[in-house]
Amino acid sequence: MIVCVAVVGHQNNPLYIQSFTDADDALKLHHIVHCSLDVVDERVNNPKKSGPTLNETFLGLLYPTENYKVYGYLTNTKVKFILVTTDLDVRDADVRNEVPCCIC
Amino acid sequence: MGRDVSESCIDSLLTEMVSTYCNRFYANKPELAARRIEAIGYQVGHQLSERYTMERPCFSDHLEAIKFICKDFWFELFKKQIDNLKTNHRGTFVLQDNRFRWLTRMSIDQSPENGTSEELSIMADNKTMQSMHLYFPCGIIRGALSNLGIPCAVSADISNLPACSFVIRIKA
Repeated sequence: MIVCVAVVGHQNNPLYIQSFTDADDALKLHHIVHCSLDVVDERVNNPKKSGPTLNETFLGLLYPTENYKVYGYLTNTKVKFILVTTDLDVRDADVRNEVPCCIC
Repeated sequence: MGRDVSESCIDSLLTEMVSTYCNRFYANKPELAARRIEAIGYQVGHQLSERYTMERPCFSDHLEAIKFICKDFWFELFKKQIDNLKTNHRGTFVLQDNRFRWLTRMSIDQSPENGTSEELSIMADNKTMQSMHLYFPCGIIRGALSNLGIPCAVSADISNLPACSFVIRIKA
């Protein structure tokens, strides 16, 4: 289940953050999104040779926390889409297909 | 995502926009009018590049981004690609379109070579009006490239209508 969606601009300015759980969790989700921005920057600046190439827009699983998995997607104009989900058995391919649909 | 727009409407809108900014809003200040028109183009290019790069993988360098502008972006806007691309490999690119769609309806002056001073000043006026119409596409290119992370300056050159070339200088 997706608990949080965030759209962040190219200067790491938040454009849209929406969480889909109870209010007291919202701050923690904002914090997770904020931390994931660092991971995105790291992936962009140090592309892993074995991982996705520099041309990949879908960054895949950014990092797992205790209850959540965080996925990232980077557009050509450096707008980042962050997806936080609690689904423990979701596969990369499913999320990869969902994200372009969300953008349109 | 396909929605149709009438081409004659676009032509009329652009002609009217240039005419309004030059003759009504900034009547005696052509530089301000030009800057305003270019700023409108910047906004349009900014948003269009967001839309047209959606499905693509990222660009590896400046040349890839310029090639995207020449091919896909130009095709989406004008249903044709740029005819000629030249570069000096030091940050300057010249994009030449042999039949620029928005200038096809513009009259070409066939003035005699040794005209009187009146005719020459009329010709000069015509040249400035023609160059006013090119600020909008220059802005579009500049907006698109800056959204892709490439700050640049774009100028246009209309030595022979209806062909025109756009010179892109990438800021180092």
